[in-house]
Amino acid sequence: MSDVLVEVRGLTVGYDEPILEDIDLTVERGEIVALLGGSGCGKSTMLRAMTGLLKPLDGDVRLFGKSLYDQSTREREKLLARTGTAFQQDALFGAMTVGENVALPLRELTRVPDQVVREMVRMRLALVGLDGYQDAMPDSISGGQRKRAALARASILDPDLLFCDEPSAGLDPAVAAGIDETLLSFRKALGITIVVVTHELASLHVIADRAVMFAHGSIVAEGTLDQLEESRDDDVYRFFHRVADLPQPMGASRGAPS
Amino acid sequence: MPAATTIERDGRSAIVRLRGDVVIASSRRLWAQLRPLAKRRDVESLTIDFSGAGRMDSSGVAMVSLLRDQMERQGRQLELVELSDEQEAALALAPTERAAPQATHHSQGFIELIGHHVYATGESAAAMGRLIKETVSHAIGVVARRERLPTGALAEQIAKMGADAIGIVGLLSFLLGMTMSFQGAVQLQRLGAGPFVADLIGVSMVREIAPMMTAVILTGRTGAAIAAELGTMRVRSELDALQTMGISPARYLLVPRIGAITIVGPALTLMGMFIGCAGGMIVAAFALDLSPITFWMRMLQRLTAGDFAHGLVKSLVFAWIIGFAGSHLGMRARGDASSVGSATTRTVVVSVFFIIMVDAIFATITTLVKYR
Repeated sequence: MSDVLVEVRGLTVGYDEPILEDIDLTVERGEIVALLGGSGCGKSTMLRAMTGLLKPLDGDVRLFGKSLYDQSTREREKLLARTGTAFQQDALFGAMTVGENVALPLRELTRVPDQVVREMVRMRLALVGLDGYQDAMPDSISGGQRKRAALARASILDPDLLFCDEPSAGLDPAVAAGIDETLLSFRKALGITIVVVTHELASLHVIADRAVMFAHGSIVAEGTLDQLEESRDDDVYRFFHRVADLPQPMGASRGAPS
Repeated sequence: MPAATTIERDGRSAIVRLRGDVVIASSRRLWAQLRPLAKRRDVESLTIDFSGAGRMDSSGVAMVSLLRDQMERQGRQLELVELSDEQEAALALAPTERAAPQATHHSQGFIELIGHHVYATGESAAAMGRLIKETVSHAIGVVARRERLPTGALAEQIAKMGADAIGIVGLLSFLLGMTMSFQGAVQLQRLGAGPFVADLIGVSMVREIAPMMTAVILTGRTGAAIAAELGTMRVRSELDALQTMGISPARYLLVPRIGAITIVGPALTLMGMFIGCAGGMIVAAFALDLSPITFWMRMLQRLTAGDFAHGLVKSLVFAWIIGFAGSHLGMRARGDASSVGSATTRTVVVSVFFIIMVDAIFATITTLVKYR
């Protein structure tokens, strides 16, 4: 079996106009890969293409060795059932309790006995720090708790591949660190491969094995964090050294030192 | 590899030897074997041997956790042996303690439920009263030129609510006029009173049918749209954003909508009156040989300015019911998409209920005033 779980080749993706062009990317089993870049650089668009939500204008996305878009709907659903996605806006169903939200993939896609489903939900909620919140409604818990509940739902089937869009954005450092630990434990205990979109530097240093940096509609750098931090590329330098990307006063220097 | 188990009994202890992956796909079969075993009182010690087991996922961890709970609750023993490092790591995901539920649904008794509904209705009515007061106050401010509306907002709302509804209101009025004329002609002809169909069409269209039908169309089309739009804005915190900017949502959003429906409701009704009568006139011409001029003259002789005033005043009240119900219920949406759907449905139900109620009140009052 191939160890490459995600293979993106010559991908051009966008809405009316291409946002990303000619992207090549691979993710291997067991990796935690971070997709980086400033706001509007297309990293979330890339994630949508990888999760079957946005058909490429050109190129292909292959999951587990099979093309995601060159498939019947049924086959695509089977491929996607082996993945989990935690959205930036938690996307919990407001009419269901937190427990029902987390149990939804189990109840719809598997025949796990009900008692085991309830125990799995309890354990997964405990893992993300929400034990006891099974009966709470999504609108009665905080934003951070909703994000953690969304992560629990995305991971409840122990997917081979987990996509997370900004999992710790807008959370306090302690909760963000908790989410980072949860992601690491998913990989360690369940062997889940993770693709995470983030621009949280603190989180990045804790979880990512490898990072891919997007800017100007393409990948501008790829490698370990050490490699990226030493990069002299302007966009990468500005990202890692927190240099403002705003109009500068005349005569002021910006970007990477030459 | 699919999971399988071998169960060995030795007096009051049992050994379960697992083979294959302990994963979601095999959980149903495994649980069907393990659960009855754990329930048996004569099994005091249960050992699960993982030496032949492969991958274990969260369903396996959950089953082990449930078995452990059951055995320990009854003072019995569960032992896991020959676990691999991966299986140990998976089992480490299981929480050591159970937390008490954080949120519970408080179940209400019958009396409490009634009280709750009465209180909620009262509170909602009071909130609607405040909304009407605030909107009227801003509307007066706009008319007196102390305040101003967003540029083009009133015209945009009139176009959306009125111009786009002309076709459907016109068509339905025409068809209703025709239908009534057919029905009336058949009955009245039997009494030798065929020409009175003009009186019938005129009075019923102007006083009842046109205002009521226009209101029902406006409820489904405009009231629901107002509730959905404002509800979505509430859920997306756009109304909060306006408030924190110091912009009154009542002035910015409600005055243009209520202003527009105040103009559009009576205007569409007036149009519906004439088109409905025209529909009746055409049928009368074909079915009764009643010339259009005769029909029109009879109708105008029968109708008074009071009839038109009755229909138009009613249509104005109906328009306000629709506008304020949609605004009030839309702005009270909370939380998620389902609350927007609920607000929209309630707008239609509440509007139709109050429209019919107000219509009955109008009919009662005018009848009492006229015939006493």
